[in-house]
Amino acid sequence: MPWTTLVPSQHKLPGPPLTPAEMELLVARAGLALNAGQMADLVLAWRQLSGLIAAIPRSATMADDQAYVFRLPPPAPSAGRAGKRTGTAAAKAKPRAKAAAKAKAAAGKTKPPVRTRTAPRAASTGKKPARRR
Amino acid sequence: MRGRRAEFPTIAEAARLIAAKQLSPVEFTRALLQRIAALDPQINSFLTVTEKHALAAARTAERAVIAGRKGPLLGIPVGYKDIFETAGVPTTAHSRLLADNVPAEDAEPVRRLTAAGAVMLGKLATHEFAVGGPALDLPWPPARNPWDPRRFTGGSSSGSGAAVAAGLVLGALGSDTGGSIRLPAAYCGIAGLKPTPGLVSRRGVIPLAPSLDTVGPMAWTAEDCALLLDAMAGHDPADPASVPGPGGSYAAALAQGVKGLRVGVLRRFYERDVPAEPEVLGAMAGAERVFRDLGCTVGEATLPPVQDYNAVGRVIICAEAYALHEARLHARLADYSRAFRVRVLGGALIRAADYIAAQRRRSALIAETAALFGKFDVLISAPTAGAAPMMSEQRPDDGFARPMLTTVANVAAVPSLVVCGGFTKTGLPVGLEIIGPAWGDATVLRAGYHFEREAGLRDTRPTF
Repeated sequence: MPWTTLVPSQHKLPGPPLTPAEMELLVARAGLALNAGQMADLVLAWRQLSGLIAAIPRSATMADDQAYVFRLPPPAPSAGRAGKRTGTAAAKAKPRAKAAAKAKAAAGKTKPPVRTRTAPRAASTGKKPARRR
Repeated sequence: MRGRRAEFPTIAEAARLIAAKQLSPVEFTRALLQRIAALDPQINSFLTVTEKHALAAARTAERAVIAGRKGPLLGIPVGYKDIFETAGVPTTAHSRLLADNVPAEDAEPVRRLTAAGAVMLGKLATHEFAVGGPALDLPWPPARNPWDPRRFTGGSSSGSGAAVAAGLVLGALGSDTGGSIRLPAAYCGIAGLKPTPGLVSRRGVIPLAPSLDTVGPMAWTAEDCALLLDAMAGHDPADPASVPGPGGSYAAALAQGVKGLRVGVLRRFYERDVPAEPEVLGAMAGAERVFRDLGCTVGEATLPPVQDYNAVGRVIICAEAYALHEARLHARLADYSRAFRVRVLGGALIRAADYIAAQRRRSALIAETAALFGKFDVLISAPTAGAAPMMSEQRPDDGFARPMLTTVANVAAVPSLVVCGGFTKTGLPVGLEIIGPAWGDATVLRAGYHFEREAGLRDTRPTF
């Protein structure tokens, strides 16, 4: 079944209604200490609330979960590399970065920068990488 | 006492008189403070009257007027629902738990209105933490409806609705998570706007359910709401949900007419989903006629049932409110009102999967509602099924048992204005709700403004 297929909903709560003993257990697990009157109020409210919960359809596609994103402020112009650097800024930046790396390497504090691989070495898993066809 | 117009200027009228130096902000503030002392004991709309603060602010405003400063809120007396933090003034959320809470800073909407010259007369009653319902087991009594003090104001911005209707303040701020601005607006016969989420900062406003909370203006007319919104709206980086709005003046936009506006009538909402009383149906029929007379095209509009929006809204509110209050509920359960406990404790039993299901369904309802605005510019509905009920009829579990028509706009994340839509034979107001697309706040205010002018319902004030 493709992951975007609708999952049919029966609009009912998973499982039978809570018994008084089960509700007392859940209330205790929630850290609440209710007296008899407060428990009666909760039962009254839960009867209504569970009906509302049952009325919410569960038939949205999985793709709808893409809606759950955090709205972040737009990145500052200096953050990240949204596009090609051009002009004098790019021309100046590259030699400066290279010079800094060379200076560090010369001082013997760090190794010169090594080009990283796009994929982890298969040796780490003890297997040879699959050959590309 | 039947109100006379001169006794009850709107914000727009008072601003003109103040600008023309025909009304002294200090004298006006004194007169309203006297009025509060004389009348508020009947309706309990104020929790705190800030007399000294008000007179000092009024003097500042008066000096500014004399110096030539102008502004629609300069010297205008207002009140704030007691969940808006106010520097040096108690902010209790109408709860025993915050009885000693004195914030160091103003909430952002308060700061903006103060900067515009508004004069705070005090802090107004609410339901406990903006959700509890009218409760008699709290340190302060619940607000009562000035049209008939035996009746409910609606909530949770109960004091804001009552104080504006009674002419104790010219404008007030409220918050709206499921209808808390618009229900008191309907029952108290005033105007109240729930703006598009993100348009008005909520920084410094005690939250109820952050994914649904909005704050907005309440006043006698839609025009006054627009004037208040002009001062309040705008991006605030300190509220993560705040976004730059469309900009421009909401009050200036009122001057455009409504000829050609496409008005959709959500008839099924109040005829079948939540069957309204005959006098509400009559008011809705009257509203359709008024919009036709104004040159609008009026047609029937259909959205998913009110119950669908209501189920989503109640589950989200209950889960988020419980999460916010859990630590205090563990420590001081008995200090909450019974009404609060009934409406929030169920959140302890809501599963994460149920909460996420509600949020997922909300996404679909937002999309379905937004699609309807391809056909219509605004939608109209009844915000309540009847006029204000008796206080004695209120039950703590009402929030669950009776679907609320107003919750549709919260779940759909769209602006919604309630204005006075008519009166019953016994003289109680009934509301008219005008819903617009996201960022269509200017359009709903314009529709409400022209409706009010055409319907001529703004000359009658409560008699008490």
